[in-house]
Amino acid sequence: MPSARKPMRYGHSEGHTEVCFDDTGSCIVTCGSDGDVRIWENLDDDDPKSINVGEKAYSCALKNGRLITAVSNNTVQIHTFPEGAPDGILTRFTMHANHVTFSSGGTKIAAGSSDFMIKVVEVTDSSKQKTFRGHEAPVLSLSFDPKDVYLASASCDGSVRVWKIEDQTCTTSWQLLQKCNDVINAKSICRLGWQPGTGKLLAVPVDKVVKLYRRETWDSQLDLSDASITLPLNVVAWSPCGQYLAAGSVDGSIVVWNVETQECIERMKHEKNYSICGLAWHPKYKQVAYTDTEGNLGLLENVGVVEKPKDKVASAVAKDYNDLFDGDDDDYFNGDMVEPQSSPNPAADEDDDGDLMLTSGRPRRAIIDEDDNSLDIGLIKASSSLLEKEEDGDDQTGGFSALPPSSTQQHFYDGPMPTPKQRPFQSGSTPAHLMHRFMVWNSVGIIRCYNDEQDNAIDVEFHDTSVHHATHLPNSLNHTMADLSAEAILLACEGTEELASKLHCIHFGSWDANKEWTVDMPKDEDIEAICLGQGWAACATSAFLVRVFTVGGVQREIFSLPGPVVSMAGHGEQLMIIYHRGTGFDGDQCLGVQLMELGKKKRQILHGDPLSLTRKSYLVWVGFSAEGTPCYVDSEGIVRMLNRGLGNTWIPVCNTREQCKGKSDHYWVVGIHENPQQLRCIPCKGSRFPPTLPRPAVAILPFQLPYCQVTTEKGQMEEQYWRSVVFQNHVDYLSKNGYEFDESAKNQAVKEQQELLMKLFALSCKLEREFRCVELADLMAPNVVSLAIKYASRSRRINLAQRLSQLAVEKATELATAQGDEEEEEEEEEEDFRKHLSAGYSSSATEWGQLPVRNVQQDQEVEDAEETDACEEAEETPEVHKQRPNPFSKGVTSAEVTTPKSVLGSSSSQGRVNPFKVSSNKKDPVVPSANVLDTMSRYSKKTSLSGSRAVNKQNPPVIKPLIPKPKSKQASATSFFQPRTLTPNPSEKAVEEREGKAVEEREGKAVEDGEGKAGNESHEVKVTAQENTENRRPRTGFQMWLEENRANILTDNPDLNEAEVIKEGMSRFRMLTSEERMVWTEKAKGGAVNGLAEDKKRKRPTADEGEGRRSQEEKSEDTNASKKSKPLDQSTNGRLSAFAFKQS
Amino acid sequence: MEPAEVEFLAEKELVTIVPNFSLDRIHLIGGDLGPFNPGLPVEVPVWLAINLKQRQKCRLIPPEWMDVGKLEEIRDQERKEDTFTPMPSPYYMELTKLLLNYASDNIPKADEIRTLVKDTWDTRMAKLRLSADSFVRQQEAHAKLDNLTLMEINTTGTFLTQALDHMYKLRTNLQPGESAHSQDF
Repeated sequence: MPSARKPMRYGHSEGHTEVCFDDTGSCIVTCGSDGDVRIWENLDDDDPKSINVGEKAYSCALKNGRLITAVSNNTVQIHTFPEGAPDGILTRFTMHANHVTFSSGGTKIAAGSSDFMIKVVEVTDSSKQKTFRGHEAPVLSLSFDPKDVYLASASCDGSVRVWKIEDQTCTTSWQLLQKCNDVINAKSICRLGWQPGTGKLLAVPVDKVVKLYRRETWDSQLDLSDASITLPLNVVAWSPCGQYLAAGSVDGSIVVWNVETQECIERMKHEKNYSICGLAWHPKYKQVAYTDTEGNLGLLENVGVVEKPKDKVASAVAKDYNDLFDGDDDDYFNGDMVEPQSSPNPAADEDDDGDLMLTSGRPRRAIIDEDDNSLDIGLIKASSSLLEKEEDGDDQTGGFSALPPSSTQQHFYDGPMPTPKQRPFQSGSTPAHLMHRFMVWNSVGIIRCYNDEQDNAIDVEFHDTSVHHATHLPNSLNHTMADLSAEAILLACEGTEELASKLHCIHFGSWDANKEWTVDMPKDEDIEAICLGQGWAACATSAFLVRVFTVGGVQREIFSLPGPVVSMAGHGEQLMIIYHRGTGFDGDQCLGVQLMELGKKKRQILHGDPLSLTRKSYLVWVGFSAEGTPCYVDSEGIVRMLNRGLGNTWIPVCNTREQCKGKSDHYWVVGIHENPQQLRCIPCKGSRFPPTLPRPAVAILPFQLPYCQVTTEKGQMEEQYWRSVVFQNHVDYLSKNGYEFDESAKNQAVKEQQELLMKLFALSCKLEREFRCVELADLMAPNVVSLAIKYASRSRRINLAQRLSQLAVEKATELATAQGDEEEEEEEEEEDFRKHLSAGYSSSATEWGQLPVRNVQQDQEVEDAEETDACEEAEETPEVHKQRPNPFSKGVTSAEVTTPKSVLGSSSSQGRVNPFKVSSNKKDPVVPSANVLDTMSRYSKKTSLSGSRAVNKQNPPVIKPLIPKPKSKQASATSFFQPRTLTPNPSEKAVEEREGKAVEEREGKAVEDGEGKAGNESHEVKVTAQENTENRRPRTGFQMWLEENRANILTDNPDLNEAEVIKEGMSRFRMLTSEERMVWTEKAKGGAVNGLAEDKKRKRPTADEGEGRRSQEEKSEDTNASKKSKPLDQSTNGRLSAFAFKQS
Repeated sequence: MEPAEVEFLAEKELVTIVPNFSLDRIHLIGGDLGPFNPGLPVEVPVWLAINLKQRQKCRLIPPEWMDVGKLEEIRDQERKEDTFTPMPSPYYMELTKLLLNYASDNIPKADEIRTLVKDTWDTRMAKLRLSADSFVRQQEAHAKLDNLTLMEINTTGTFLTQALDHMYKLRTNLQPGESAHSQDF
């Protein structure tokens, strides 16, 4: 579109809003439903003069320094303009007036009211009134004939009337509009208008067309219409020259026609499609001001003017015309003159369109200008005929209707329009023109700037007063940019004519007495963005340069940017710069991002990659998460974060607009934390940024990745899983760069991820999606895969279990090969894959910081049930591990701090627990474990604990703690071994045990007792004799069976209650073969009858039967009766021996 | 119960503060508090909020109802209705007193709030006396105490029950035949 449109701005509160220009066009005047008349110097005027005229202003008109308004107390008032002093009441109605308008001379006004009356009043003498009665409904709008003979009016009764002012009679009346009973119900407010100057035409917006009526004959001369108009037109306005007619519709379209040619020269759509209710032409320039029913004010500039800088011919043509125009003579001659000139131009068609546009934009000459459109014969004909008609003044209808439809085709450029480039900004700052503003609000503190009459000052406040006390600085240099870190305050101002642009740093972290330094930029180089990192400061200037300083003021690197800077952010040694890569189109920005590391190893991570932004949005916040991951927020409220796990791509992690209650509410982001996942922002009601007073409160938003179907369980878990993965990336980054990080938090995240995978796995199992199960298992850690195998085998999915064990083997071999060199102390290099498998398990477990010590866990649980050793407790509550904040959030770290000691500190803090916490373990043993997931969570808790315990007791861990292989192996070996044996020679047993286990897994399900177990069995048989002191209650076979299979039933049907479970169990039990049932009855009898040294196997209904491993074994015994016992004292012994072993 | 005891109970109410220090979660017998992150609002019991405020370790964010507009509405409602209206907090009086005494600099329009709460309190106390009076007069057996806060009940509770006891005794003594026992009292 040729016209330049500025973004709309807030003018008044919601409701009907009108607009007009003053006589000279120096200011825009609006009135709105807030009862104010505002006088705007221009559209960017942020401090318009407001005149309160009443509770509600319905209409205003301005002429000769008089401002008349129709207000809600049913009067029409005069105010002086521009002073705004009340100058009396012109007239009153019994209802409020809907429209007031000046006559062309400005001596009279007309007002139409909701009480069906129209009054015409002399401005100077309000006693001279004329009343027009005849409308049968509220009057919508009025228009004075420029010759002061007629007055046109539209009303809710559907009629448009023309009155003779002299005798107040109705000259003519058309029934054009839809009838309604009140203005608010009217489809259109039907602002009609006489053509200025001659008053030859009366334009009436009727539905989707503008009807033009001819003076005196009152016949409908022609209709102006356009395909882009889809809803009724609300308002029309003539350009002061009478050449053009603008119309605004209820859906926000604005269309401008050249009336003579009926050609649509301008189409514009309101950015939010609000109903246009006010239109006004600038008295001199080609500007149209418009207002909508939401109170916004907009401005179209250069209406109908096309600038075609490429087209020299066009300008030449225009020049020729300027010369030729003095004599308003023969237009054909002009046409002939032009043709030879323009024909050599190869770009014929388009350029001609351009010519047309350009020339038609010239006021008062359009008719003749038109002829330079040399190639369009039809148009020439049309315009020539028009000209004739103009001259004749008669009989025009034929001529117009003869116009070929092609003449109204679009003649302007409607391709993508370049977007104005967004200005540089500081993250976390509010606009610079505000008197009280935030210069920065980040995770360290707040810098406020006060710039009013009495004071020009900067207030610095720290969230954590231990960093530094609050300070108050004078702002004599008029700093506009600021950044704040835990060691310095950085301020910058743009240059003025006398003073150069300055960078000012207050390095309060300095230990010497000189805490401040200032650097002047070279002449004509203005600072546009600044940021602080750790030990350095940087500024980007208008010369496309980035200058890096040390925090003490030494100049460091300097490099060029490919484009104007938008914003920059620093964190640690990372520097992120966002700049304009080029020009965006259609509201989009075209930004690029550079991410560099300014530490010892200087390198660029993002090399000016394009920055992904939501359509038609711009950047509003750039920064790093507290953990050091680059993030940014766009104006549509989408928060994106760098996903280092996926080749440094950007992933949207939150949509703040989804959280907003109102349409115009926003969240102003101040910080992002990955652990815990927090988006810290300030809710702003009805604005994009908060005011400084009252002091805004920070709110916390959760993150959510935009995954599909998050309402379903599957989608939700997928989202959670990937979110957890994304938000854990920083750990890898930190560890890779040698920073301290929170081990326990990482473990927790890993645990959470594995749990989610397991849940997803179970869900897919339930849905019979076995392929998906395998895919999920592929994402799992090896030790969790074994759980998945168990789950699969227990839910009788043999095929799945087999595939999973294949997968496990693959994983294990992968790991084994990957870590082959690390695993030097592999105990036995057997070819049997089982070895690999178990090796893989243990090694991977260490890698994840988890040891597969399930049996230890069993023992501990039993132990917990009996003894309550406080220290033991303390170690056994891993949930209370503290999430240590990242070093940066406290601002303590440098790369050098990452010594083992610091981690030791954190690991000792893991010992800091809640002394009041009731251990959940104590209650656990009674409840039979419902399903694998329970087991798993307990399991992983325990294992992560044992990992951390290893950390505590063994060598001081480092940043990447790979716990020495042999130890972990021993730990796992002993743990496998303990519960079963009394002998203090664990290693061979462990091997045996492992083999037995591996066999089970290879078979994919529980099978009959392998030979490997036979030995164990004999132990246990003996052992059973010892445990007979415990009371047994008699049970039936079914009860025992149910005990065993309850977990299965529950997993299959998680929502069953107790009774239903029993019922389901009954039916399943009945489905067993009679032999099987016999076995169970036998067992039950054995249990019931058996006194002491019975050789039969019994079940021990204690805690450990809930354990996953255990229950698997039990399951294996579904088919044949088998041993089942484990005396407490024995396991305790085993544990003690394991402990002793570990210590040694 | 003493007013001090009621106040003690009120101190368990949670309020939001913005700490200016950093501290991990602290484990107390009544539950865990924190973690405290500078600049980040966190909910703590009133007693801790006041303690921190006195040591200038935090900024207090007044409860949502502690707002002139809302309190005016509550007061007007209280005046309009004959019965007791529900209060924004069961400890509104205690909280107002505590927070305004110790953190008035963080509460906008503290004086107005104090007046409004006092107005509401007075209205309620008047209602309470009135209803106690009619309760005694009409010799009712029971009365509903809906929407009364602990502090309000405590202002009349002891006195009213004792008075009723006495009246009961006096009444029973009035009955003939029972006079012999009167010496017991």
